[in-house]
Amino acid sequence: MFSVLVCDDSLVARKQVAKCLPQDWDVAVHFAKDGDDALKALAEGKGDLLLLDLNMPVLDGYGTLEAIREKGLKTKVIVVSGDIQPEAHERVTSLGALDFIRKPVDPKTLAEVLDKYNILHNDEELQLEASPLDPDIRDCYQEITNIAMGQAGDHLARTMNVFVELPIPNVNLIEVSELHMMLSDIESHEQVTAVCQGFLGPGVSGEALCILSDSSFDDVAKILNVEGEVDDQLQLELLMDAASILIGTCLTGLANQMDINFSQGHPIVLGQHRAITEIIAMNQIKWKRTLAIELSYGLEGYNVQCDLILLFTEESMKMMNSKLAHLLEDF
Amino acid sequence: MSQHLDELLEFHWMMDMLQTVDVGIVVLDRSFTVKVWNGFMESHSGLLPSEVRDKSLFSLFPSIKQDWFTKKAKPVFDLKTRAFMTWEQRPYLFKFPNYRPITGSESFMYQNLTLSPLTSATGKVDYISMMIYDMTDVAVGKKQLEALQVTMSEAQEAKRRFS
Repeated sequence: MFSVLVCDDSLVARKQVAKCLPQDWDVAVHFAKDGDDALKALAEGKGDLLLLDLNMPVLDGYGTLEAIREKGLKTKVIVVSGDIQPEAHERVTSLGALDFIRKPVDPKTLAEVLDKYNILHNDEELQLEASPLDPDIRDCYQEITNIAMGQAGDHLARTMNVFVELPIPNVNLIEVSELHMMLSDIESHEQVTAVCQGFLGPGVSGEALCILSDSSFDDVAKILNVEGEVDDQLQLELLMDAASILIGTCLTGLANQMDINFSQGHPIVLGQHRAITEIIAMNQIKWKRTLAIELSYGLEGYNVQCDLILLFTEESMKMMNSKLAHLLEDF
Repeated sequence: MSQHLDELLEFHWMMDMLQTVDVGIVVLDRSFTVKVWNGFMESHSGLLPSEVRDKSLFSLFPSIKQDWFTKKAKPVFDLKTRAFMTWEQRPYLFKFPNYRPITGSESFMYQNLTLSPLTSATGKVDYISMMIYDMTDVAVGKKQLEALQVTMSEAQEAKRRFS
């Protein structure tokens, strides 16, 4: 989502500026109370557009503009100030601001200025290329996955007596070609066996992909207490078991936090002992973009390389965002 | 009063539905004794619910290996996750005859199985449900396709050798 950062030392002014943003403009609005604050927020990616006041404590508007220029930050700046001297106008535009709006702001003027610099219309294309996922939402997904993983790891550790090296979830809105890239480093290693499983909840649907490298099977057999020679048939069973546990625990954790329930389809074997791109290649026509949460598992003391990828449909994000709205509010 | 009657009637047709649905439903407790055995299971196994109720699954079906099945069910009880078995892994858990004894090409029913936890009011899992799906048609289709692929590649190989 396109993000707007409103920087002003006065709470009333911040609210007033935010209220004047076009009603139908789907943006994430953030606030900063001085220049320092704003620079921090910008560094976190919270501000494709900065609405900047000039007279503030700590770091004023001029200083902020200078810092933005020095650091090469890509934000667009529109100055909103009560200081209407012509010199102020000149100074800020020479420091890189697009335009100058005098306080108090009214919706019409703001809309005109936004329109003039194509900020209202181009934002969608721009953000698709630059950052497809709002950092706040990414953070939020990452956090709930972390919590889900923590719970899952605890369960796994207790049932299987292993120490689970908790992976850091990698959350991205990706396209088909990117899924290939994401998987390419797994491919470079060796051959894999993959299982996918569909899951479905109210308004949320997706697929879990569990990929186990072929060299991991002996150790997985040890962990799951399976004896005997690990042949193809047994490998398949091991993968199914490991996948059910990993996918199940992770989905349960996510579902709990969103207060929904997932039903799971039967797992399908995508292929045994094959190159990963081959496995993915067959299915690439049907979708364009997907929210991917990638988890790479390791188990301490074992040679187990297992990747779990949760892919959510783009439509699912609507429901997920609304279910997670209470978390997002705190940002 | 009439509300109670309605609830009772509703319960009755719900049970009827469980009985007649074309999916096998079995409920097991922690020691794997059978608690529920629906119409699908009854018809295919030839065992009446009264014959299986409160008996151990393993004594009823000695072909099911106890260690193996216990291991499968452990995460369902402990982690409250579902466990799955597909016909590709092992063709069946219960050896039931083919649904179509005359026109069917296979002698037994290929099965997909799902074990899922049944959470009690206290949040504990004391029972699990086992659902058995008939996958024979899918399995037959896939096997035919694979056989065809083998025949074709053999034919191509032969052709190359003779030409």
